[in-house]
Amino acid sequence: MPILQVDDLSISFRTREGRIEAVKNASFTLDKGQTLGIVGESGSGKSVLCYSLLGLLPMPPASIDSGKVMFDDKDLLKASKQSVRHIRGNRISMIFQDPMTSLNPYLTIGTQLVESLTIHKGMNKQSARRRAIQSMDEVGIANPEKRINSYPHELSGGMKQRVMIAMALLTEPEILIADEPTTALDVTIQAQILRLIKQLQHEHKVGLIFISHDLGVIAGIADEVLVMEKGDIVEAGPVEDIFYQTRHPYTKKLLASIPNTSKPGKYRYKRDNTSSPLLKLQEVKTYFHKSHSFLQSRSEEIKAVDNVSLEIYPGETLGLVGESGSGKSTIGRSIIKLVDIHEGKVIFKEQDILSTGHYQFDRLRHEIQMIFQDPYSSLNPRMTVFDTLAEAISLRNKQNNKNITPEVIQLMEDVGLNANQIRKYPHEFSGGQRQRIAIARALALRPRLIIADEPVSALDVTIQAQILDLLLTLVKKYQLTMIFISHDLSVVRYISDRVAVMQSGKIVETGETEALFSSPQHDYTRSLIRAIPIPDPEQERLRQAATTIT
Amino acid sequence: MATAAIDLKNIQQGRSLWQDAMSRLKQNHLAVFGLGVVIFLILIAIFADLIAPYSYEEQNLALGASPPSADHWLGTDTLGRDLFTRILYGSRISLMVGILATTVALTIGVTWGTISGYLGGRVDMVMMRIVDILYALPFTIFIILLMVVFGRNIYLLFFAIGAVEWLTMARIVRSQVMSIRNQEYIDAVISMGLPRWRIITRHVLPNILGPVIVYTTLTIPGVILLESFLSFLGLGIQPPMSSWGSLISNGVETMEEYPWLLIFPALTLSVTLFSLNFLGDGLRDAIDPRSAKD
Repeated sequence: MPILQVDDLSISFRTREGRIEAVKNASFTLDKGQTLGIVGESGSGKSVLCYSLLGLLPMPPASIDSGKVMFDDKDLLKASKQSVRHIRGNRISMIFQDPMTSLNPYLTIGTQLVESLTIHKGMNKQSARRRAIQSMDEVGIANPEKRINSYPHELSGGMKQRVMIAMALLTEPEILIADEPTTALDVTIQAQILRLIKQLQHEHKVGLIFISHDLGVIAGIADEVLVMEKGDIVEAGPVEDIFYQTRHPYTKKLLASIPNTSKPGKYRYKRDNTSSPLLKLQEVKTYFHKSHSFLQSRSEEIKAVDNVSLEIYPGETLGLVGESGSGKSTIGRSIIKLVDIHEGKVIFKEQDILSTGHYQFDRLRHEIQMIFQDPYSSLNPRMTVFDTLAEAISLRNKQNNKNITPEVIQLMEDVGLNANQIRKYPHEFSGGQRQRIAIARALALRPRLIIADEPVSALDVTIQAQILDLLLTLVKKYQLTMIFISHDLSVVRYISDRVAVMQSGKIVETGETEALFSSPQHDYTRSLIRAIPIPDPEQERLRQAATTIT
Repeated sequence: MATAAIDLKNIQQGRSLWQDAMSRLKQNHLAVFGLGVVIFLILIAIFADLIAPYSYEEQNLALGASPPSADHWLGTDTLGRDLFTRILYGSRISLMVGILATTVALTIGVTWGTISGYLGGRVDMVMMRIVDILYALPFTIFIILLMVVFGRNIYLLFFAIGAVEWLTMARIVRSQVMSIRNQEYIDAVISMGLPRWRIITRHVLPNILGPVIVYTTLTIPGVILLESFLSFLGLGIQPPMSSWGSLISNGVETMEEYPWLLIFPALTLSVTLFSLNFLGDGLRDAIDPRSAKD
């Protein structure tokens, strides 16, 4: 007897471009204690589907066209707002993606936890507080009696997500919906949170709907899986079937796109030992000041990059991995002087970048270009692709303005874009296409060194694979040297020749990619590699079993 | 390359943000209407001498305040002066104040705010504290001071109002620039080595135009009313000259006996305000490529 039954549910949105069908004829059931994983890329309708279960969709523009959502012999779609409100957050709870924004920053976490108990369970404040402390203890928050009085900003991202989980489980719901609960977290924290969710689900016997774009995570947590594409459930079944007896071509494509940590990348560069490094960092220190007031000159220092030395040889791709706050992006930005270096030397082509004058540096600058993480903010929304690329070309080539158009077209073709789209604005492109434009812009200056700062983190997994392959092709074609910054070890393994691992501003380990992945020397590297979810249910279970023991 | 037929002519033609904006503006009927009204009002102000049926200062005490009639379309004021004529002439002063003072405010405010927001740090700190200090000065005292030092002059009045109104503009611009400054496309062009002034003119300013235009269209009517306040204090224009602001404030005094003296000038100002708002909203949408309805 399933606790939740969704029948033939269709949801559409009215937009200026017309009606968009976000979910088409979705049907599924959820049993007590079962985990249903929903996988899909952005825009596949997976979040819309779950939001509709709780009546959280804004209507209009959304509208439910057909279907039933049966919970406790009631159709949630037809139930009164009052009764849905009673169910929501009480019998069906939700954990959201971003723990930074889903807690109210002005209230202590205690207040927020107690609130749901006093509202839904009619408890008095004292007993609600005792229950809240108990549940914080349960989700592994040390010292809950003290922590209950802290404000959200005083907790780390992982801690906040634990609080969210505690809050979701407080009222002992029958169904828990988790919408990408670990996407915003670092990989080691993700592993902890996943383990926690799994354990609590087991203890409380809740039905769990787990939404994720990450097949590795799904492989580890789900019993049943729904694969969604553009509003359709294209494949559904037990997790093993999805992974081992894949039927639908879309699922196959998804599985093929994942850069698997267990398989090495395509492009392997052989370093010529006689060549001298293209770029050399010598004991670089970049500190940030957290100043307190106008007159106070003494301030707190944050050592974002703490004494880092690195050498990058012509033609190689160096992967720089680390978790958020490890300083990996700051290194990239320090090299091109987007942030000021405190101490140390950056030597590019035998010239010290820091001591060169302004004009000389501008010339050097063309040879080092950067690709940014967010393709939605890295292009000027008010300039057409042509203007963006032409501007870059004319910077390198100041005299000859006649031949810009053919060069722009050449660049567009290089990055796999149709030259007919040249007069479009960035918003008319998809995320992956925008990232291609950003890559073209960087190439326009004919750089020797490319610093790619998380260039695929904001993209869907199938698009991610395309962009990675594009980068590999371009690196080969233009003999580029690349620093590839990422938090994602599988991506780094796929693309890099050499890897440097960073932790709190320091490089803890460097090595040839395969050597580093097969026999990591440093404890931190080992824990990072161990924390990556493997997109294969059996291996993932083995990995989880292994990590819980250690 | 026969299959991928590239429309070279299309590409080379290029299209600038401004050409695009104009074509989008034309599609917005409300904005075109607003623009039409504004142009109409400006023409009326310029050719007031030719249109006006009476002289703006000619009194007819025998007539006194009379309601709208065939001779006097909008009636007459307490001194028997034709209200229609006075509104016509008043539009000269009011529109001039509105446009010139706003231009002054816009120029100073955008420049100040952009420099402050883009450079940030200590420069920003000092520049914004100056703004704070000017905010704290009582506005009337500031203008009286200017008048005393430079003598009374209608152009100085425009400048004085502009010199007060730019403070808010500078703050709005600064906060917008700061948020644009943190966008990655600014980092991208910095690392491409684009000169700073070109970063500002090509990448920062076009992206803050939306809020600036909206605030500008709100400033113009505000400035028009401010002029009446100064005239009331005897710092602005002198009777028998008229402006919309002074007509409205006179109309308020006699509201109960002669309501038309308030209604018509107020209506004129409202129509102007609406038209400006329609135009402003239209412009804001027009310069944003994302709002295109293709």
